[in-house]
Amino acid sequence: MKKTYHTVNSRVPRVDARAKATGEARYAADLAMPGMLYGALLQSSLPHARILNIDVSRAKMLSGVKDIVTAKEAGTVKYGVSPARYDETVFCADRVRYVGDEIAAVAARDPETAQEAASLIRVEYEPLPALLDIDSAMSDGAVLIHDDFPGNIGAEVHQEFGDVEEAFKGCDIVRTDRFVNKRQDGGFLEPQACVAQYAEGHLTVWSSTQSVHYVQRSLSMVLGIPIGKVRVIKPYVGGGFGPKAAVNTIELAASLMSMRTGRPVKMVFSREQVFMHSRARHQFVHELTTGVKKDGTIVALKNTCHLDGGAYSSFGIATIYYAGSLLGAPYKLANMKYDGYRIYTNKPACGAQRGHGGVAARAAFEQQLDIIAHELGMDPVEFRLKNIMKTGDVTCNDFNMSSLGMKECLDAVRDGSGWTEKKGKLPKGKGIGVACGFFVSGAGYPIYRSETFHSTATIRLSEDGGGANLYTAAAEIGQGSDTILSQIAAEALGVAFGDVKIYSGDTDFGIDLGAYSSRQTLMSGHAVKAAAEDVKRQVLEVLSDELNVPRDDMDIENGIVIFATGRPDFSAVRSAYAKEHRGWVQSSLPEGLTFKEAARLAFLKRGVIVGNGAYKPGELGGKYKGAAVGTSPAYGCSAQVVEVSVDMGTGRVTVDSMTDAHDCGFAINRTNVEGQMQGSLSMGLGEALFEEVKFDGGGRVINASLGEYRIPTSLDMPNVRTIIIESNEPNGPFGAKEVGEGAIMPTIPAILNAIYDATGVRMNELPVTSERLYTAIKNKVK
Amino acid sequence: MLFLPRFDYEEPRTLPEALDILSDLRSDTKVIAGGTDLIVNMKKGSVDPARIVSLKRLKGIRGITRKKEIVAIGSYTTAADIARSDVIARSFPVLRKAALSLGSPLIRNRATIGGNIATARPAADLPPALIALGARIKLRTKGTNRTVIPDVFFIGPGRSILGKDEIITEISLSTLPPFTGADYIKLGHRAALEIAIVAVASRITLDSPDGVIRDARIVLSAVAPTAVRALSAEGALLGEYPSDELFAKAASLAMNDCSPVSDIRGGADYRRDMVRALTIRTLANAYREACGQGVGL
Amino acid sequence: MKKIITVTVNGTEYESAVNPNMTLARFLREGLGLFGTKEGCGVGDCGACTVIMDGQPVNSCLVLAVEANGSAIVTIEGIGEGGKLHPVQEAFIEAGAIQCGFCTPGMVLVAVNLLENNPSPTENEVRQALSGNLCRCTGYQKIVEAVERAASKIVCGERAGEL
Repeated sequence: MKKTYHTVNSRVPRVDARAKATGEARYAADLAMPGMLYGALLQSSLPHARILNIDVSRAKMLSGVKDIVTAKEAGTVKYGVSPARYDETVFCADRVRYVGDEIAAVAARDPETAQEAASLIRVEYEPLPALLDIDSAMSDGAVLIHDDFPGNIGAEVHQEFGDVEEAFKGCDIVRTDRFVNKRQDGGFLEPQACVAQYAEGHLTVWSSTQSVHYVQRSLSMVLGIPIGKVRVIKPYVGGGFGPKAAVNTIELAASLMSMRTGRPVKMVFSREQVFMHSRARHQFVHELTTGVKKDGTIVALKNTCHLDGGAYSSFGIATIYYAGSLLGAPYKLANMKYDGYRIYTNKPACGAQRGHGGVAARAAFEQQLDIIAHELGMDPVEFRLKNIMKTGDVTCNDFNMSSLGMKECLDAVRDGSGWTEKKGKLPKGKGIGVACGFFVSGAGYPIYRSETFHSTATIRLSEDGGGANLYTAAAEIGQGSDTILSQIAAEALGVAFGDVKIYSGDTDFGIDLGAYSSRQTLMSGHAVKAAAEDVKRQVLEVLSDELNVPRDDMDIENGIVIFATGRPDFSAVRSAYAKEHRGWVQSSLPEGLTFKEAARLAFLKRGVIVGNGAYKPGELGGKYKGAAVGTSPAYGCSAQVVEVSVDMGTGRVTVDSMTDAHDCGFAINRTNVEGQMQGSLSMGLGEALFEEVKFDGGGRVINASLGEYRIPTSLDMPNVRTIIIESNEPNGPFGAKEVGEGAIMPTIPAILNAIYDATGVRMNELPVTSERLYTAIKNKVK
Repeated sequence: MLFLPRFDYEEPRTLPEALDILSDLRSDTKVIAGGTDLIVNMKKGSVDPARIVSLKRLKGIRGITRKKEIVAIGSYTTAADIARSDVIARSFPVLRKAALSLGSPLIRNRATIGGNIATARPAADLPPALIALGARIKLRTKGTNRTVIPDVFFIGPGRSILGKDEIITEISLSTLPPFTGADYIKLGHRAALEIAIVAVASRITLDSPDGVIRDARIVLSAVAPTAVRALSAEGALLGEYPSDELFAKAASLAMNDCSPVSDIRGGADYRRDMVRALTIRTLANAYREACGQGVGL
Repeated sequence: MKKIITVTVNGTEYESAVNPNMTLARFLREGLGLFGTKEGCGVGDCGACTVIMDGQPVNSCLVLAVEANGSAIVTIEGIGEGGKLHPVQEAFIEAGAIQCGFCTPGMVLVAVNLLENNPSPTENEVRQALSGNLCRCTGYQKIVEAVERAASKIVCGERAGEL
C-alpha cells in the first residue's frame, strides 16, 4: 500500500521564495559592516612567466590603502581540492601559470582605491613559453607547468573491466568516433563575493559558496587557524553549478587581510574575474570505440579522453575519473576500458560543473549509439531499450543499480513526444532525436579521503513544541535544498511544514560536504530524516512513560499523536500543557493529542529536546583504483526527446520542443524536480549550441562577458515537457535520489541526434554554432 | 566590480547651450544619450573622457513627427520609441524590425537612434535600414548646420564624420514611393541580446506590381568597416523583372561588395556566404511587400 | 565634482549629492541601501540590475545616477504594498519561478511593467519582454508560467473589484 504523505511529494512553495521575490534576500555582495575595507586582486597579465620582482611601494603610498599582501605575507602553504594534488598557493611566489593567476591583494577604504592600488603594483616577469592547448602542453620538450608532472600530465587513469580487445573480435560493428566539447563557464548570475571578519582569534567568512565545509577546512589549513575557530556562513547564493564548490582566492585573501588589519574585508569578483577564475567545465577530447552485435547488443566500449585542465588541478582529479566511469551505464556492458589524461595548460583551472565529468562523454557516447542504431537499421529508442539495465543490475565497474527507472523514462519520452509518429517522417530541416542520461546521486566519498560523516543535521524543538528548528550546513544555492530538507524534517517528525524553520549553510550548524555531485537530497536528506526521527523518538519515549503506552505503538502524523490501539487517557498531558500557558487565550485543541502537547511534556521532563542525525554511505562496490569516483549510494537516470528546426541556408538551429523524463526515485518537491530538469535542459541547450570560452594567443579570455559568452535567453528555450519517474530508491530518504545534475545528461546528444535527423550531418564538435553546422552541411554536399 | 573613471558632467537645458559647451574643444568631451555603448566602454577602460555632456534635458530632439511626406525622428528617440511608433510601423516597417532586433528590451529603452549612429559600430542595427530607406542625418555645431546621408557618415569602426563639437539632432525619412518593399534580417547566435554576425537590409521599388525594379538598395552590415551598400548587386536589379534567379544573381554579386573579417562572432567565409543567403531572403521579402499594396501609402 | 540630484525612489523623494561616475545601480544599493537591485555583469548583458525608470525597465548599471535626476524609479522594494505581495510576486512564488533568486528582482520588475502595459500577453510576448533578463537556473519556463498566472490573477482581481 502506498503510504500517505503530508508534506513530501507535494508542491509546497519554496521557503526562501518570499525573501527572493521581495528583494529582501541578502547575497554576499550585499553585506556591509562597520569599518569594512574593500579588497582587490592583482592578477597576472601573462599566461606563463617567472616572477622576478614585485614592487608594492607605489601602491602602499596611495592614500586609503590599509594592507597589501603577496606570497611573502600569505606564505606558500599548498592547497587545492584533492590532497594528492594540492598545487595552489594563495598568491604566486615565483611563477604565474595563467592570465588571472593571483599575485597580490590590497585592502583599502573603498573599492576604487583598492583597485587603483592593485594597478600600481609593479611586477617584473620573465616570460615562459605559454602552453595553451593539450597538444602543445604534451609536445616533446615542452616546459613543465608544474615541475613534478612530466609531460604536463597532471593525472592519468587506466581502467579495464572485462577484455575489450577480445570482445571487439566477436562484434559485428566496431566503430570509433572522436568528439570534442569546449571549455564552458558556469554562467551563474551572481559573481563570487565574500566578507571576512577576524576578531579575537575567530575568523568568520560570509561567502558565495557551494560548500561551507570545504571552505572552512581550506581556510583553517592555509591560514593556520584551528577548524573550531573558523566559521563559514553562506548567505543567499546566486547559483553555483560547480565552480563555487571549492575555496577561492578572495576567501583566502580577504581572511588574511582581515587578520592583519583587524577589520572586516569584502571582496567581489567582476564578471571578467569569474571567467578568469573559471573552475568550470573542462574541454574533453574523447575517442570512443564501441562494439555491438548484429542483434543490437552492446558488447564493449573503449574510451580515451584528454582533458584540458588549465593551470591547476581543482576538482580535476574527480573529473578525469568521472569522464570514464559514468559511461557504460545505463546500458548493460560487460567490457569497458578507459584511458584518461588530464593535461596542465596555461589557462584558468577547470573543475566541476553540472554533470561533472560526464557531460561530454555522454554526448559522444549517445551520438555514437545513434549512429550505430542507424547502421543496424534499428529504431534508436528500441536499440536503447534492448540494452538498458534495470533495478538490481550491477555495472562492470561495480555500480549497483539499487533503483533504475530507465525503461520507464524511455517509454515516457517516446510516448510523450510522439516519437513513433515523427521519427523518420519529418521534412528536411526538421529533426527529432533521443538520448539517455545517467549520474551519481552523491559522491560516495568525500573529496579528501576520510571517515567523516557526509552530512549531519540537528533539530531542536521549541519549549512548547510549536516549532522545530533544523540546523544543517547544507548549501542552498538556488536548487531548493532548504525547502527539500524542511519537507523531509516535517514529514519525518510528523509536523506541519510551516512548523519547521531551517538554518543552513553555516559551519556552526554541523558538517555537510555541500552542494555538489547532486548529493544533498539523498545525503543531507538522510541526516535530516534521522534527526527528525531522533526527536520523535525522544518525545514518544517521554509520552510512553507518561501514558504507559509502548513507544512503538505510537506515531506522530500531521501534528497529532497516533495510537496503534485504542486511545489512552491523556488529559493529564493536556492540562500540563494548559498550565504552562496560564492566562493566555487558549486556542482550542483538536480532539486528539497534539505533538505540541507531547513535546511540551518532553521538555518539562528532559529539557530542550535536540535530535541529531548523521549520514555517510554504507559499503559501496569497487575495490579497483579509482572506484571511489563514480560509486554512489544511488544513481539517477533520464531520457529525452528533442525536436529541432535547422535553417539550412544559415545553419542556425532552433530547438522546438523537448520532452524529458527523469528518474529521481521519489520527488520530495515536484515543482523543484521540474525546475531542476528545466534548468538542466537550458544549460545543456546552451552548451550544445552557444557556449564556448575563447582565448587569444596570449592566453587571455576574449569573451569574458555574458554578451559574448552566451547562455540561453528566454527566446532560445522552448517549453519543456517534464515527466517525473519515481523508482523508489531504497538507499534514499523516502525513496528519493538525484535530479540536479543528472538531468543535463541527455540534452546535448538528443539535440545532436535531432540535428542529424534534420540535416544528415553528424557534429563531433561543440558548440554547434550556425557557422559550424552550415560549414558541415556545405562540406557534405561537396 | 567595474567602476567608471572620474569625469565632469554637464546637463545643458537647450541645444545652443549644449553646442556652446561642445565648442570648447580643449576638454576631451563625450556626448551621452542612452549611454548603453558609452558607459560600457568607459567601464572597460577603452574610453576615458574628462567630461560628459548629457542630451537628456534638451527639448525637441526626442519623438517622431510626420509633416506631409517627411517623417522626422529626433536623435534622442529610443529604439523602443521607434518600435512602438505607429507612424514607423505604417511607413517604415523595416526600421521597426531593425529597432526590435537591437540588444534587449532593457537596452532598447535607453539606446537612441542618434547614439546608434554616432557610435559607428560596424554591426549597429539601425544604420542598414536607414541607408536602405535613404535617411538624412541632421548635424549641428555652434555655428553650422548640415544634413548628410548615412552612406557618407560612417568612416570606419567607431569612426564617422561627426565633429567633436557636433551633435546629431534629427534623422529624417521621406515616405516611400508606391510599390516599395523592404526587409532587414539579422543573423545572431541567440534570439536576443545579440550583435549581428551578418545583417542585411534591402529595399526595392517596382514600376508597377508586375513591373520591373525601378530602384533598389542592398545594405550589408558587419561585413565591412561600416555598413556598406552592395552597389554591384543593386545595379544588377535595376530595370529587371524580379525573379528568384535575379535575386540569387544579385546576392552572389553582393558577396563581393563587402570585405568581411574573421572575428569572435564568425569567420570571413561564413559571413560572405551569409551575405548571399540574407540578401536573397531580404530581397524576396521586400518584393513580396512591394507587390502588395506597398508601404508608405 | 558632486552633483545634487533629486530622485523619487519607490514613491519617496531623495535629495542626494553624488559623483558623476556613480551608476544608478550603485546609488540605489550603496546610497539608499536598496540591495534588491543586483549586479551580475555591470555592462547590460544580464538584466539583474533592472529597475523601472519613468515607467520603463532599464539596466541601472548603464544609467548614471546624475541622469536619474528628476526621474521616478521603482525597485523591487517598491513592488507590493504594506507587506502585501504584488500578484506577480505571488505568482512567482506559487509557480516555482524562483531558484537562486539573483535574477528574480529584475524578472519581477519586467513582468510587473509588462502587465501594466499589456494585461494579457501571449507566451511569445512574455518571452520577448523577458529576453534582456538572463536566468541560468530555471530554463525560464516557470517564470513564463508565473507571468501568465499573474496576468490572470490581476484580471480576475480587477473583475472582482468591479463587482
